[in-house]
Amino acid sequence: MKEFEYLKPDSIKKTISILSQFGEKAQILNGGTDLIVEMRDKIIQPEYLVDIKAIPQLNRITYNKQDGLNIGATVTLNEISNSKVVQTHYPILVKACKTVGSYQVRNRATLAGNICNASPAADTAPPLLVLEAKVNIIGPTGEKIVPINQFFTGVKKNILKKGEIVTSITIPPIKGKWVGVYLKQGRKKEVDLATVGVAVVCIRDEVRIALGAVAPVPVRAFKTEELLKGKTIDESLLEKAGRSALTEVSPISDVRSSQEYREEIIKVLVRRAILQAKGGHIL
Amino acid sequence: MKHKIRFTINGEVKEIEVQPNKTLLKMLREDLDLIGVKEGCGAGECGACTVLVNNKPVNSCLMLAVEVDGKEILTIEGLSDGINLDPLQESFLKHNAIQCGYCTPGMVMSAKALLNRNSHPKEEDVKEALAGNLCRCTGYKRIVDAVLDAVKKGGGK
Ligand code: FES
Ligand code: FES
Repeated sequence: MKEFEYLKPDSIKKTISILSQFGEKAQILNGGTDLIVEMRDKIIQPEYLVDIKAIPQLNRITYNKQDGLNIGATVTLNEISNSKVVQTHYPILVKACKTVGSYQVRNRATLAGNICNASPAADTAPPLLVLEAKVNIIGPTGEKIVPINQFFTGVKKNILKKGEIVTSITIPPIKGKWVGVYLKQGRKKEVDLATVGVAVVCIRDEVRIALGAVAPVPVRAFKTEELLKGKTIDESLLEKAGRSALTEVSPISDVRSSQEYREEIIKVLVRRAILQAKGGHIL
Repeated sequence: MKHKIRFTINGEVKEIEVQPNKTLLKMLREDLDLIGVKEGCGAGECGACTVLVNNKPVNSCLMLAVEVDGKEILTIEGLSDGINLDPLQESFLKHNAIQCGYCTPGMVMSAKALLNRNSHPKEEDVKEALAGNLCRCTGYKRIVDAVLDAVKKGGGK
């Protein structure tokens, strides 16, 4: 690993000023589970490494009925899945967090890191898409809020500009009863990247669907959702939904799966996730 | 520039200077001679480097030494009191849950962390907790059995 200067600012303000001062030479260190490997392999070679874990405001989970759930940037995936409020109100998020890496990795990895890293296969991305999460960003020019479906811009690319950091992720409240499901297909049950990930949220007659690992960015399947809106769901509609979801993504062949297998699994998981979210009460 | 850091390692307070580009794994092995901690992959895949930081299992290859400033670290060397082994270690011996032994320190530390947070884990809990620890020789059955037996014997207290 190349030498660098390690900085540990204790406020957001100081962090922004360090990032503005050093520009391209600086890199944020959060959980480090991807970054340290990339630094070891000399893919990323920062001159200044800015550890944001000493900033108290970034380490909180808050929840209330009006504003929903807010998860600070340095909160780890295990802290999220152990949180009572998340377990009570957003079990879909607990499920997704638990499918990322190993227990050891989840003690370090964060939700903010998982989305900033912007892997198409990020397990937390499809649930955040169907929950219509908002990403809270601060930079030299002030604060902004970006809807999660505008956050990803390409494979391992996001909308952040140099000097900007994600401070937290907000999940707005959902009115009325709803059920969320995240299904992941990997090569093995534990500790693997997703071959296909599908998240579904059902709210009354609305169905939201998002898919991971099947396009350059995690995708919200708006057209398929439109197809299902207000309809009574039966076997033929489920089949249509699976085929429709396929038209909204662009799966490829890679080390984890062939394109054909992915296409098949997309159809299966979309169908299964809708069924599960509807409590299996259809057909 | 080196950083002065202060931490507790296996119950003892230490203060040392480290280069920021040194991982916790390297510091433990090279500077503190704690060679029970193993490097398998160096990339968070195998769990051979698992240690507890503030009671939580982490991959020490994925953490920088400077990040443990002010923290408490427990490695396999800190488990026994020098005379008596930890019940988990006893159980690994009894069940022959060791062949080459390379994965063992990481396995035992992951299991230790599990028992610290859940004194009565079920088989699924053990499997989940050890999912990030690879063993290339024993097979996992003996290892899981060893942990469950330690639980039965009150290893989880
Ligand atoms: S050496 Fe750290 S996980 Fe393999
Ligand atoms: S005993 Fe050899 S790797 Fe586990």
